Amino acid sequence: MLLTGAMVVIVLRLFFLQVIQHDHYVALATEEQVKKLVIPASRGTVYALDGDTPVPLVMNQQVYTLFADPMVVDEPTQVAQVVRDIAGGNLVVDNIEQNLTDGKKQKSMYRVLAKNVTLRQAELIKDKDLKGIGFQRVSKRVYPEGAMAAQTLGFVNNEGKGQYGIEQQLNDRLTGTDGILKSVTDVANVPLSIGKDNIRQEPVNGDNLVLTIDRNIQAKAQEALLAGLQRSGATHGSVLVMDPATGKVLALADFPTYSPADFTNVQDEQVFRNIATTEPYEPGSVLKTFTIATGIDKGVIDANSTFYNTDKIKVEDRTITNALKGVTGTITMQSALNNSLNTGMVTIAQRLGDGERINKTSRDTIYEYFHNRLGLGERTGVEIANEQKGILISPEEEQGNAVRYSNMAFGQGLNVTMMQVASGFSAIINGGTYHSPTVLAGTYDGGKLKPENNSTARPNVISPGASAKAKEMIHQARVGYTNTDTPGYYIGGKTGTSQTLENGEYINSQTVGTYLGFGGTDAEAKYVIMVQVSGKNMNLEGNKHAMPIFTDLSNWMLGYYQLQPRA
Amino acid sequence: MSYTRTATYAARRQQSWGRNQNTARFVSPVKLGPVMHTILVALMILVLGLIYLTQASGSASYDYQASDLDRKINELATKKADLEVENARLSSLESVKNSDVAKAMTQPSTEYVR
Repeated sequence: MLLTGAMVVIVLRLFFLQVIQHDHYVALATEEQVKKLVIPASRGTVYALDGDTPVPLVMNQQVYTLFADPMVVDEPTQVAQVVRDIAGGNLVVDNIEQNLTDGKKQKSMYRVLAKNVTLRQAELIKDKDLKGIGFQRVSKRVYPEGAMAAQTLGFVNNEGKGQYGIEQQLNDRLTGTDGILKSVTDVANVPLSIGKDNIRQEPVNGDNLVLTIDRNIQAKAQEALLAGLQRSGATHGSVLVMDPATGKVLALADFPTYSPADFTNVQDEQVFRNIATTEPYEPGSVLKTFTIATGIDKGVIDANSTFYNTDKIKVEDRTITNALKGVTGTITMQSALNNSLNTGMVTIAQRLGDGERINKTSRDTIYEYFHNRLGLGERTGVEIANEQKGILISPEEEQGNAVRYSNMAFGQGLNVTMMQVASGFSAIINGGTYHSPTVLAGTYDGGKLKPENNSTARPNVISPGASAKAKEMIHQARVGYTNTDTPGYYIGGKTGTSQTLENGEYINSQTVGTYLGFGGTDAEAKYVIMVQVSGKNMNLEGNKHAMPIFTDLSNWMLGYYQLQPRA
Repeated sequence: MSYTRTATYAARRQQSWGRNQNTARFVSPVKLGPVMHTILVALMILVLGLIYLTQASGSASYDYQASDLDRKINELATKKADLEVENARLSSLESVKNSDVAKAMTQPSTEYVR
């Protein structure tokens, strides 16, 4: 009877454990036996172009963090000696021996001794068979070209997220998708195939992106910029080089700069920013090329149109004057452009209206060309993070009045980025097609470049005829400086020297120098270059400080492209 | 040809069985009781278990081989990536510019242009 009762109890208990609590124990067993491991996707590499050949700018390298368990290390002196000998350049602690001894006293089980240890170094250390030493594998971004195009690239932070530049803007494409391995494992986490619910999902690596940046042009742009800043004493500068026929950005150089590999050492966040896309400013007289193009396309001026210059012109209650005085009397629009006369540009703005005032028709026309057709005051869509749209006030707004638009005609009263200006300028000199700028040429897969067309074209933003006339006027505006140009080519450009705003007022003690120009053969402009130089409390001028950088780079570009000079 | 019909009686059992067939029934003298049956079943289960374990450990050994191969593949991939990085560093503009070959170069003459 007693035995039967015991049997019943056992059977009931077994029923409870095996049937009623079946799912619970299965879950416990699965948790213990089945491991879910992430197979990390490899972040895409980034290439620049060398002519037509992709060359790596950003790559991945597997490196190791070397750590020690002080409680297990039995010979700290030997460990310290080996680690110093093999990975001395990667140490993150000054005194390894002391660190391990302190760790043991504090009963610490994890002390990082070195970072970014290579596989070879790790193997050499492993061969020494030291107790209490371990390695943790991590992937890091490496930059074979050093600091080249740093502000275009951006960097990847410690959480693996892209910051600034294309690393941030194209983070999703670069990241890829991690794979999953769900499997029964042994104690050493080796996956075993005995489980019936094993899952292995392969990772999808990030795209390997090829930029339109040409590393040779980029290197020369950086070199020319640095040399120009050293000559002028300016502390900040940027250079943008673009292919006007396609909108492809060939170089983007900023100074001060940094090395993306050492982004943690940067003190001033400002150096991370790509000036050409994230820092709108008043570009000054380089925008006179836009006003000229608008006037020609609307048929109100050409190079030989004249006006009477008195070095000042009244707009509403304001009097606008010229920076260069003395070119007075009846002069041509070509002369107004050559001498950068504000009065000439205001005259064009007036002629776009009723000829006397910058009325609503005139303002609408300027807005139509500057904003809608040539892209000022709008994000260009270039694949660089944090692009700013700037400010271009519509004539519909109260502030979009005649005074504002008279200022805009010579490059003040608006905030635009270098990228916007260079893109619009490209349309003016390429026959009238606006190409949205791009830094992305395509992807690199299996040793082949797969091109992508990320630029959209808007044809006929000005007529081909107007484009040709404007281009010739811009060429003539540079004629006075052609002794520095390589002879036999068709070069054009315009200077800009803009005051800066302090507490809402323009000040003369700090000016930004800009130069915007093109170069190539008589048949075709091959490049557009825009240069900007600035410095706190510095008077920097377009012709003195920015133009020499353009000239240096332009002459080099002619040789780089191996263009045939005219006979 | 004459046809003779035998008049001999053939039993029904004899008719249905073949000629010379042994018709004896044998009964084993060994009798297996319930305990023996249980032991035999247990033995069979044990044998089956052993077969399963052999197979399972056999497949596990393949898992270890596969894991080892995976590790080697990863190691080689890492070495390949390291070499690619080194190659890229050595081919970088800065390295080329500072190379001995580049330093030994001289400025070309442009006299022929004039």
